[in-house]
Amino acid sequence: MNVVVDDLTKTYGRSRALDGLSFSAGQGVTGLLGPNGAGKTTLIRLLATALASDGGTIRLLGMDPAKEPAAIRRRLGYLPQETGYHRAFTVFEFVDYVAILKEMVDRRARHDEVRRVLAEVGLSDVSHKKIRALSGGMRRRVGIAQALLGEPALVLLDEPTVGLDPEQRLRFRELISRIGEDRTVILSTHQTEDVAALCARVVVLKGGRQAFEGTPAELRALAEGRTWLSDQKAGMLSWRTGDGLFRNLGDAPGGSRLVEPTIEDGYLLLLGGLPEEATR
Amino acid sequence: MNQHTDRPGDTNGDGHTDTSRDMHPDGQAGRRTGWHMDDDLAVAYAEGRLSPTTAASVEAHLLACASCRGLLAPQVSQTRLDRIWVEVVDVVDTPAPGPFERLLRLVGVRHHIARLLAAARSLRLPWLAGASLALFFAALAAGETTRWGVIGFLALAPIVPVLGVGLAFGRGADPAYEIGLVAPYSAFRVMLLRAAAVLITSVVPALVIGVAFLGQTWTVVGWLLPALALTSLSLLLSRWFEPVQAAAGVSALWLTGVVWTNLHAPSLAMFGGAEQLAYLIITVVSGVLLFLGRREFS
Ligand SMILES: Nc1ncnc2c1ncn2[C@@H]1O[C@H](COP(=O)(O)OP(=O)(O)O)[C@@H](O)[C@H]1O
Ligand SMILES: [Mg+2]
Ligand SMILES: [Zn+2]
Repeated sequence: MNVVVDDLTKTYGRSRALDGLSFSAGQGVTGLLGPNGAGKTTLIRLLATALASDGGTIRLLGMDPAKEPAAIRRRLGYLPQETGYHRAFTVFEFVDYVAILKEMVDRRARHDEVRRVLAEVGLSDVSHKKIRALSGGMRRRVGIAQALLGEPALVLLDEPTVGLDPEQRLRFRELISRIGEDRTVILSTHQTEDVAALCARVVVLKGGRQAFEGTPAELRALAEGRTWLSDQKAGMLSWRTGDGLFRNLGDAPGGSRLVEPTIEDGYLLLLGGLPEEATR
Repeated sequence: MNQHTDRPGDTNGDGHTDTSRDMHPDGQAGRRTGWHMDDDLAVAYAEGRLSPTTAASVEAHLLACASCRGLLAPQVSQTRLDRIWVEVVDVVDTPAPGPFERLLRLVGVRHHIARLLAAARSLRLPWLAGASLALFFAALAAGETTRWGVIGFLALAPIVPVLGVGLAFGRGADPAYEIGLVAPYSAFRVMLLRAAAVLITSVVPALVIGVAFLGQTWTVVGWLLPALALTSLSLLLSRWFEPVQAAAGVSALWLTGVVWTNLHAPSLAMFGGAEQLAYLIITVVSGVLLFLGRREFS
């Protein structure tokens, strides 16, 4: 296992962002799923060595981030949730700049690597463009490209699909699943579609705790036998679907029909409410 | 010059040049190409052992001389061809850097350092131009009036590098701060490189503008030690505070001090001999503390 987290806690002042969290992740894409404020960014920043924990243990690539941050950083790729870019740089210059910060001193080799990652995210054609001239989706791809520099063993992506349109989202999934083929990718999201499409394993965060760890199929199975369609609203988790019927999670209302659950159903049951209500 | 034996000198790794065979690529012989390559030279060129200038003159000759091209062809190994190809791709496919980076490279700064510097907001054209403009007007005012004008220039000149350094790194100034934070390159090193570059790019214009408008009075250099003291102090403070805030705080303190002494004491009291010594001490002490605490920056 490349990432092993045990009983991790992190407090900001008096508010507890992570509260005894444990999980592990190996090769492939692991999703961190949770509503806003669940602690996903806090966890990813801890894994990225950008933040120190208050308690518990983290082992990354077999190392302790408190003791060997530099060795971990050399094998790490990281896309922060709300990163900016040096807008006056071209795409090539910006990624080259990050490559320099990643200690790639030899110019030829570095430029080759920059071209490789730009090709990998499909940005070769705009490498001469200024960052400020790019669309949001393209900028996000620049962010992914820099996270791939130097073939990192561990890639951390914090909400990489937020704000993308469906087509861009599709490209992203393809890209991220390809990246996950031969390394450990940890991706945070608040959308179950991402998890369903991408992740071999998923960890659900709720209020800084681990509410679930398993495969997406197992997450879906949580709602097996508890997802109903009926013509009336029942239970606390219920909403009207497009065809006029109510989808109810939990106990069966009268005159209802059992249906196949989705991952979303399992996730909602786990949260015990709609995501808006689950935020703290 | 015997034009038949003149040919590019082969500068080898030991740094010695065979003067009997030496020639300046830009010299007459080169231009008239009154020489031809022999086997030794062809091999040396093919293996990439020639100095850049010599190689350039060989290349100029090759363009004009078919028989030397024929001599060279069998000497060029596949690996060298591959290497040349990689270089060509790199040159063609790499966007030309911006004007500031080109200027840095021109004065001998290495490529990757130039790029690390160019990433800082206060080392890009808009900031450099704005800072110079501010100094220009301050110097103009100093030339016109006596008391507040001169004080204004002396007060402003140290603030330009302090604010420039504050805007050169840190969470508030660097849009990709978080990416840099977890990169292995030493943050302390980046900070010092940028601080040095900001100092140079703000001290030089201030000196030039000062001399141009105020002539050779002590006013032209009176702000130098304060500039160093305030800059190193705000660098040191950035260990505990946001660099921008540290710079703003130090600048505010400085301005308050200058204005206050100008109102209550002889107007140039902040720039006297004892004060200059104090600035020197602040610079040295801050520098030492900065160095001792260098691990705290990454
Ligand atoms: N720098 C901070 N200072 C104080 N509180 C914070 C900080 N960052 C996050 N928090 C709080 O910690 C909790 C978890 O936040 P975060 O890790 O950003 O969650 P997520 O990424 O899942 O939305 C939230 O309640 C948030 O308000
Ligand atoms: Mg977040
Ligand atoms: Zn010839």
